[in-house]
Amino acid sequence: MNQPFLDVKKISKIFHPGREVKVQALVDISLTFDRGEFVVISGPSGSGKTTLLNIMGGLDSPTAGDVFLDGERITGVEEKFLSRLRRDHIGFVFQAYNLIPVLTARENIEYVMQLQGRSRSECDRRTREVAEKLAIAELLDKLPGEMSGGQQQRVAVARAVASRPKLILADEPTANLDSKSAEGLMDMMQSLNQDERITIIFSSHDPLVIGKAKHSILLKDGQVTADEFPG
Amino acid sequence: MFFKIAIRNIFAYRKRSIITVILLACTTALLVFATAYMDGSHGRLIQSSVEIYPGYVQITHQGFRENPSLENLIFDAAQVSESLQDFPGIEVLTPRFESYVLFSSAEKAVGGMFTAIDPEKERQVSRLAASLKQGSYLTSTDQALVYMGSELAKRLKVGVGDQLAFVGTGADYSFAADTLTVKGIFQTGLFDFDSRASFVAKPYFDRVMAAENYATHFIVQPVRPAEAATLEVAIGQRLGAEYESASWQQTMAGLVQAMRVDSIFGYITLAIIFMVIFFVVMIYTLLVVYARVREIGILRAVGTGPGQIFSMLLLESVLLGLVSVLLGGLIGGALAYYFHINPIVFSGFDEQFKQYGLALTAMPTDFAPLVILRDMAVMFVLSVSATLYPIFKVNAFKPIEAIHHV
Ligand SMILES: Nc1ncnc2c1ncn2[C@@H]1O[C@H](COP(=O)(O)OP(=O)(O)OP(=O)(O)O)[C@@H](O)[C@H]1O
Ligand SMILES: [Mg+2]
Repeated sequence: MNQPFLDVKKISKIFHPGREVKVQALVDISLTFDRGEFVVISGPSGSGKTTLLNIMGGLDSPTAGDVFLDGERITGVEEKFLSRLRRDHIGFVFQAYNLIPVLTARENIEYVMQLQGRSRSECDRRTREVAEKLAIAELLDKLPGEMSGGQQQRVAVARAVASRPKLILADEPTANLDSKSAEGLMDMMQSLNQDERITIIFSSHDPLVIGKAKHSILLKDGQVTADEFPG
Repeated sequence: MFFKIAIRNIFAYRKRSIITVILLACTTALLVFATAYMDGSHGRLIQSSVEIYPGYVQITHQGFRENPSLENLIFDAAQVSESLQDFPGIEVLTPRFESYVLFSSAEKAVGGMFTAIDPEKERQVSRLAASLKQGSYLTSTDQALVYMGSELAKRLKVGVGDQLAFVGTGADYSFAADTLTVKGIFQTGLFDFDSRASFVAKPYFDRVMAAENYATHFIVQPVRPAEAATLEVAIGQRLGAEYESASWQQTMAGLVQAMRVDSIFGYITLAIIFMVIFFVVMIYTLLVVYARVREIGILRAVGTGPGQIFSMLLLESVLLGLVSVLLGGLIGGALAYYFHINPIVFSGFDEQFKQYGLALTAMPTDFAPLVILRDMAVMFVLSVSATLYPIFKVNAFKPIEAIHHV
């Protein structure tokens, strides 16, 4: 049987911000993704995009339901396993401040590879390769504080992609960027998706960014209201 | 890589690092110096007290310490001297004969201690000769000349050159009495001692008290006073069961106890200072670590294990702690060394100290590298443990909470 690459099965998430208060962030969500997809999750603020991405990446646990990555269950497992899963198979890009401020761009990019125990020469080669693709070769020796927001996000994407994960999850990676930088970043992510066959799932509000995706999921009040393949 | 991050963070959070290092280094220096001062002054105080009269090692006949009666005398002093001749570790060995007599002057009769000493050897084991206040010290050929404590002289209302009589019991239980002339008056500053003690040359004493070749005890001056306790054991073995030996720690247990109590109070004061430093370091670490919660969340999100985060943060405190403790140890050690060579002089107190017969105006600190290392180790452990709570606290965040922490 042909199992899906990423299988989200009947996920619900309830937050308890107060004693009596309950927030149902996700309601019974089921989704499947194939390897190599370029997916956008969109929806109004508070619709559950971040929550869903966090659960798919093993950063948060659902109240009910399961997630399978490459046939392996990643929900209801130990944090130790999840740490390793994130290190070896998942790349994250957040909205902003993704980088370690005391490390240069190069050191930030190499960080996950070094955690994985890759050799010096492999780190070097791979860093040069992704820096080329993301047009940050000139920035490698700069500290995050010396770079623009767009440059920082490109370094963050480089770090996420350099360790060769199966899946990259990006939560509103362009939200803090001007439209020109946003478009540049999306184009680069798109070509990485094609060149390296890495599955990329990102969330966004921005119609321009949403338009780049080949698989589009729309959330509203924690429920999937559309799951389509435009283009 | 964690090492690199730790080092960079130490420099990035410069204010915290500098304040932590300064505080810890000062405290380490303070601890090292305070210990050196306490040990030094105690050593000095013990030295003075022991050397005034009691001596470092005492030899008595078996049973004399529990029951100081005439049956338990050393009856062959020459034999004891002989068997300890050239004994390694002994600088000087001198016999004494302590007895109690009734003194009577023209004005008054007072009971007191009447002790035979070898004036020349006694010079080297006690401060009697050095405590001379009026007149002069004894010589071994002195006949019927007495050297007495200032308070005793005061009670008897006698001065140098005055005469007084004594009545006592000889070593053979015979009646002993003679007329003495005051040759010198001493003041050690130990009131009790100064109001009871008097000394005469042993040859004279032996004759009037029928104590030829007898002694109540011997006093040993060790070559190395610090090793008195070991020397005492060796002497005991040499002399056999007929004799008993005791080091100053045994004969002056009260003093040892008093020093210990003083040290405890010293350490309590230090402990209070440590507590304050502990919490200041902890609060600074909390501030710095909380400023980095989000960063730590990102590190966790990309797959850094909690143990790795823990060791990275711990490494920072260890490095800061090491630098501080080394710096503080160096400063404290240098101070301890300086005041060891150039003792602290309590100017203005000279008279007061001299009056006590204690040459204590100059108080050298102790310089013991091992003790300094011990203090540094204590401070290191303290500095690192002050950061443990903040580290655990920040590490207890789930990655997702950490990332969304503001
Ligand atoms: N830690 C939390 N505690 C309580 N409620 C939470 C928590 N995280 C999210 N929520 C709630 O869950 C719902 C979904 O939030 P989520 O952040 O997933 O939405 P989003 O689509 O990412 O929104 P945005 O576009 O603003 O980022 C919201 O109502 C939010 O208030
Ligand atoms: Mg969100």
